[in-house]
Amino acid sequence: MVVRVSRFACVLVEHFDAAAIERCEPALRERPLAVLNPRVDRPVDRASTPRTSTARVMTTVEANAAAREHGVRPGMTETEARARCPMLLTRPWVEEYVASARHALLEAALAVSPRVEDGGAGTAYLDTAGLERLIGDAAAIGRRLMHQVRAIGLIPRIGLAASRTAARMAAVNGPGAVTIIPPGRERATLAKAAITTLDLAPDVAATLGRWGVRTLGELAALPREGLAARLGPTGLRAHDLALGLDRDPFRAWTPPPFWEEAQGLEWEIDSLGVLAGVLETVLERLCRRLTGVSLVADSLEVRLGLASGGHHARDVALAYPMSEIKPMLTLAVLDLEAHPPPAAVTRVTISAHPIRPPAGQGGLWQPPAPAPRDLVTVLARLAALVGAGNLGSPLLVDSHRSDAFTMLAFSPPSDPAQSIQPRHDTAPSGPRLALRRIRPARRVEVETIGERPTRVEARLVVASAGPWRASGEWWDVQAWARDEWDVVLGDGAICRIARDRLAGHWYLDGFYD
Amino acid sequence: MGGRLTPIRGEITEIVGGLSSGRTSHLLACLGEAVGRGETAALVDTEEIFDPASAAEAGIDLRRLLWVRCGGNREVALRAADMLVRCPGFALVALDLGERVPRLPTTMAFRLKFAVRRTDVALLIVGRRRLTGSSAALAVETLREGIEWARPGPAPTRLARVRTTTRVLRALRGAPGQEPSSWWCA
Repeated sequence: MVVRVSRFACVLVEHFDAAAIERCEPALRERPLAVLNPRVDRPVDRASTPRTSTARVMTTVEANAAAREHGVRPGMTETEARARCPMLLTRPWVEEYVASARHALLEAALAVSPRVEDGGAGTAYLDTAGLERLIGDAAAIGRRLMHQVRAIGLIPRIGLAASRTAARMAAVNGPGAVTIIPPGRERATLAKAAITTLDLAPDVAATLGRWGVRTLGELAALPREGLAARLGPTGLRAHDLALGLDRDPFRAWTPPPFWEEAQGLEWEIDSLGVLAGVLETVLERLCRRLTGVSLVADSLEVRLGLASGGHHARDVALAYPMSEIKPMLTLAVLDLEAHPPPAAVTRVTISAHPIRPPAGQGGLWQPPAPAPRDLVTVLARLAALVGAGNLGSPLLVDSHRSDAFTMLAFSPPSDPAQSIQPRHDTAPSGPRLALRRIRPARRVEVETIGERPTRVEARLVVASAGPWRASGEWWDVQAWARDEWDVVLGDGAICRIARDRLAGHWYLDGFYD
Repeated sequence: MGGRLTPIRGEITEIVGGLSSGRTSHLLACLGEAVGRGETAALVDTEEIFDPASAAEAGIDLRRLLWVRCGGNREVALRAADMLVRCPGFALVALDLGERVPRLPTTMAFRLKFAVRRTDVALLIVGRRRLTGSSAALAVETLREGIEWARPGPAPTRLARVRTTTRVLRALRGAPGQEPSSWWCA
């Protein structure tokens, strides 16, 4: 006998605005919390004054379960809520928190099913058809969903049924965290649910209330033709919902190109050390979202809201796509050390561009190289220590000018076969003698007999070889011409000196060593 | 050693010597050997003396060499070397301290020693005198023995070769002594 499994799942996070804040501040989870609308203008009629004035009243937008136990409800003023619950903690409603949590919830659902629908703040629907072969039965799918959503810091209720409406009803009214409605039992299971759980239009809900319809079972029992005649399409839709039928098409959600996490601050931060702690918290949430769906970030943007009202935005270059907190934090902190915000910070927002991790594997006989994660960290630290311009790989410039080179960012080739072999025209027969450069070449006083140097800075020249003539760029304003001499000084040092033929000055290039 | 020096992985090796004694040539040879195997090396250059042209002529793939220029600041150079030896994956980290070698606290020397053991990096320190004392597994002194000039005509026009030798000052494995000479081509 083939058992038909539920095809849809609903992930529901209750009191979502409060849950979004608890996700940013997990310590608030066990305490009564109310989310306040920061600015609500409400007309106030004063008996003593004939005209109507407005006052700013903080009203409760959402309350968590602990606050609701004390009777705090959305719509209450802050004063009323505090009167009911003296221990109440309040936080302002922040759009970024809710948006981040909403996207995080959808991305967590995306880790289980490729077809996810955004059902509004705190609600995600998943098409679970075919997942049983990958994950298992409906209970296993529910457990997987629970694990993914808990990993991003939200506590969901999950329903699985043959339709989205039935799955949502199961999530709202189910006895446990995961509720599964067996196939064909949708109507019977939903029958006892209150009609208010359907989120019907107020006029339809009021009409049904006047008719004495209180439960979905009573609504489903009404004649369909009669409902159509009296309430029109809205009545038919309500009837379908009561039966657990979906008439709306499934609108698959596509993740945005940039994933964002934000953190508002209760106080201003003007120390980078303290800011690093906040950055770590935000990055932790962001990285948890990335790792949950096996993605990595290939670019990072840190936006700091400032007490002065402005913003300080920095693009943090990631040397390789990553999802690890530690190197990301190090890079962000080092970048902010080099480019500190001009004022105290009141808000931190980090956005990342997620990509699939590039597949790669080193060869079996390939010598070990620094791991990209370690290398990027140490390079960033070294850049902060010595300056980015003093770090890298030298690249010789195609010129005969002495000491002509430029610096490139250090990026060793991954394939050892790409190593440059010594040029045959310049490769010596034995090991090469090194020149210890003096930068910049030091101007020295040289005594000569004819062209040949006899003393360098009053030090006797015991042997010399030269001149080795070179010139270049005579067609340009930076023309140069020099005679190089290799000389052995009285103290045994072998040095290379050069006479600038254009200026007539002598320079010490360096010592052979 | 056969006249050529090979830094030991996971240990500190020191090369000391005066100007024109061949210590920098040994340093280049060690870098070339590591990079030639396809490995990655780093050079912490205190006085910015490294000559990329000499290195390229010696066959070093400069793309595998991380060059850290410290502008003459020895404290910075020591900190940079300390960071690099804690990064696993480098085959060789070379620290050229130049002519004025600073005093290094014993604790710092031990920190370096244990760091290179943990990451299995070869740390090569080049300078006028020894730095790490008993923390180094191998310490050699370079000495110059002779010079040859390129003489196509009656007067020499270029330095041709320099012959140097090394004297082992400290070796955890093997006894100190004199090593055979080697020629370095200019």
